[in-house]
Amino acid sequence: MAEFTTAVFQNEFLPDGGTDVNAIVTISCKGAGTAGQSGSGDAGEIIIVDTSGSMGPATMAAAKDAAQAALAEIVDGTWFAIIAGADRAMLAYPPVTSGPALVQMTPEARQQASASIARFVGSGGTAISTWLDLAGQVFASVPQVTQRHALLLTDGENRERPGRLDEAINRATGYYQCDCRGAGTDWQVAEIRRIAQALLGTVDIIPRPEEMRAQFQEIMRASMARGVADAKLRVWTPQGAQVLFVRQVAPTLEDLTDRGIPVNPLTRDYPTGAWADESRDYHVAVRVAAKALGQEQLAARVQLALGDNVVTQGLVKATWSNNSELTTRIDKQVAHYTGQTELAAAIQEGLAAKAAGDEATATTKLGRAVQLAAETGNEEATAKLRKVVDVDNEAEGTVRLKRAVEKADEMALDTASTKTTRVRKG
Amino acid sequence: MTESTTAPETACPSCGAGVPGGARFCESCGAQVAAAAQPLTPPTMVPADDLGDAPISAPTRRPVDALPDPLPDPGRRPCANCGGEVGPDLYCLSCGTKAPSARDHFREDPASWVAGVCDKGVKKSRNEDAMALLAGEQPGSRAVLVVLDGVSNSIDSDVASLAGARAAREVLRTPLPAGMGTPQSREAAVAKVLQDAVAAAQNAILAVTDPDSPNPASATCTIAVLEGTRISHAQIGDSRAYWFPDDGPAVKLTVDDSIAQQQISEGVAKEVAETGEFAHAITKWLGRDSHDFVPTVGFLDIEGPGWLLACSDGLWNYASDPAALAAQIAAAGPANPGDLALRLVAFANAAGGHDNITAALARVGPLPEPAPATVETAAAPPPPPPTSATTGPATPTEPTGAVPPPPPSVQNAGTPNQPTSAAGEGGPTDG
Repeated sequence: MAEFTTAVFQNEFLPDGGTDVNAIVTISCKGAGTAGQSGSGDAGEIIIVDTSGSMGPATMAAAKDAAQAALAEIVDGTWFAIIAGADRAMLAYPPVTSGPALVQMTPEARQQASASIARFVGSGGTAISTWLDLAGQVFASVPQVTQRHALLLTDGENRERPGRLDEAINRATGYYQCDCRGAGTDWQVAEIRRIAQALLGTVDIIPRPEEMRAQFQEIMRASMARGVADAKLRVWTPQGAQVLFVRQVAPTLEDLTDRGIPVNPLTRDYPTGAWADESRDYHVAVRVAAKALGQEQLAARVQLALGDNVVTQGLVKATWSNNSELTTRIDKQVAHYTGQTELAAAIQEGLAAKAAGDEATATTKLGRAVQLAAETGNEEATAKLRKVVDVDNEAEGTVRLKRAVEKADEMALDTASTKTTRVRKG
Repeated sequence: MTESTTAPETACPSCGAGVPGGARFCESCGAQVAAAAQPLTPPTMVPADDLGDAPISAPTRRPVDALPDPLPDPGRRPCANCGGEVGPDLYCLSCGTKAPSARDHFREDPASWVAGVCDKGVKKSRNEDAMALLAGEQPGSRAVLVVLDGVSNSIDSDVASLAGARAAREVLRTPLPAGMGTPQSREAAVAKVLQDAVAAAQNAILAVTDPDSPNPASATCTIAVLEGTRISHAQIGDSRAYWFPDDGPAVKLTVDDSIAQQQISEGVAKEVAETGEFAHAITKWLGRDSHDFVPTVGFLDIEGPGWLLACSDGLWNYASDPAALAAQIAAAGPANPGDLALRLVAFANAAGGHDNITAALARVGPLPEPAPATVETAAAPPPPPPTSATTGPATPTEPTGAVPPPPPSVQNAGTPNQPTSAAGEGGPTDG
């Protein structure tokens, strides 16, 4: 049985008249077990491979190999299917045209699925909305599958009427989770990130075909380790208070603020998907009415709920004080993640400005990103930034845009922008 | 940083929160978890040969097992701020206001005519005041009010003061000596029992004080015992006992053991002394570093109905003059003792609540008709400053108006010098 714990990091002391309370709530899970084996329902996996004409022979060969490797990671008994995606989506395995479109994994099924992957041929365009919709229909065909996860690989830009993809994302949101990977450099980070963020998954670039196999294995292994099916972050705030934002800040940055589903007038649920043995940090900011000096007030109850069952709770407090030594301190965790959030925004805005040809803005934003990455000790961001800009002064954030930049390096910086580091010890 | 876990070692009996093994108090509500904080030595350990010159008149039976009464569970009370339900984490489920813990705010009402409220106040982080009450069923029969005020710059004085208050109460469970040959011998015998009660409080405080504590717990101690028409009182420190007759001027029964009081005795104006730098420095206290814990004992024979009050300085700081306190009681309107105690605490909280507040009351004579509205349902919020969870309507201080007759005589055995200010304090002021 999974066990959850909560830790709250905050400076609860507010100055006279202060209203805004910030806290980092770390929720940790132990003993999650294996997907589909916790008794709350079966697990389902769908591998979606881009089979459009843009997939070159090397990429296609690597994708086939990677998909086959991912099959090996799916635990026997797990429901699964393979989808080939191009102008439209095709159910490649199991070979059925009606009825349940998922089968349970066995050594034979793995072999047959492998064989059908081997027959993939690249042709046609890219209509990702049809891939997402078919995955939803396939999951829905086996009702006992309650933990639904897909792995999506694409190599090109979506070629659909604007809005189609967003409609498909909306249909899938809250129904299944999806990790997305882009092969090569012809795909759009912002487009695929939209899918991954809405479907509680990750996004990354696989610049070279030979890296694909390891990535697929890792994604599938991580998914199979998620033994806790569907957890929600439940946030209570007092009457009259206002939730300024709710963000996941580690391991990746996700703004959950607009995803809240009201439970009652004071409580909202934010979907967090399935959990493995892991720990996630949430930044909660609440505005409360100021109280008299010396008064204490609960600003938020931050809980993790499985169904209606609250498994852990952290309390975010506010205490008004006229001791400026107490009230002026900023919690280290809050400061760190505030910096990481700004870092992600600076990278994304800087790259967008660069793509639009606005070099002045790009230089300023990426300079600020270099500064923040150094301050918050985000070495991955620092390394990736240095491939895009020449740094004159790290502490002051003065940089120059590199004249020749590998497209893959820019995309890697973009996809990694939401990865955060945890606060340094000591 | 706070931590909670789904697998606590034990659960708090009061609020259900997880408590690490060996903890004496619940981290979330402050309730006592184990019996460890209770006095380890019986509270009646008084050397048998230490009888002084008092006649031997001790009762033949002494209660030895001074088991503290369980504190009432505050989790059942609705939120003091909005009336909403209080959650198991002791914060209101609606407005988030922190419910006071069982130690931060508790009430006792041993009989319909005796009740008290002990409250953390607004500014202090914990409640180091304590009280312990006793009362006979029959109104006016017998009441014991014990108030201790833990000294805030000493360690664990909240634990010590409660242990001390309860130990003193146990000594006073049996009636005071009566039927002596002369009034003098009777008073000497009563003084001896009151000394024993204070000594029991002292022993209980020592029992819960860490022997290695660099700053041992210390406390004041005020005891008022009403038996029929006689009030007997004992004093260490600067908590106080008052008698407020329905007709006639208020009487301050006790004399503070404080620098301020010393200065007043030496002729310094009361207003100057009580606002001076050392106004709250006390000259006698209970605790390991106490050098003198023989209380100042006094008696008052009363006529007619009225209120007996024992309180800590958290209350009288805002109405130091007896007439000013009497005005608060009058302004509160007719009320039962519990409601009146709540109103006095609310008054002190509304006035700033800088210290812990205790008000213990015994009603002599018929209970007044219940007031139309009780404190907790009073609609109007108090005036600024915004008040704590426990406050009710604030009441401005008003002069009593009528010119009072001379105050009744106050005897202070053990205090050769009658305080010169006693007569003056009985008079009305402009509040």
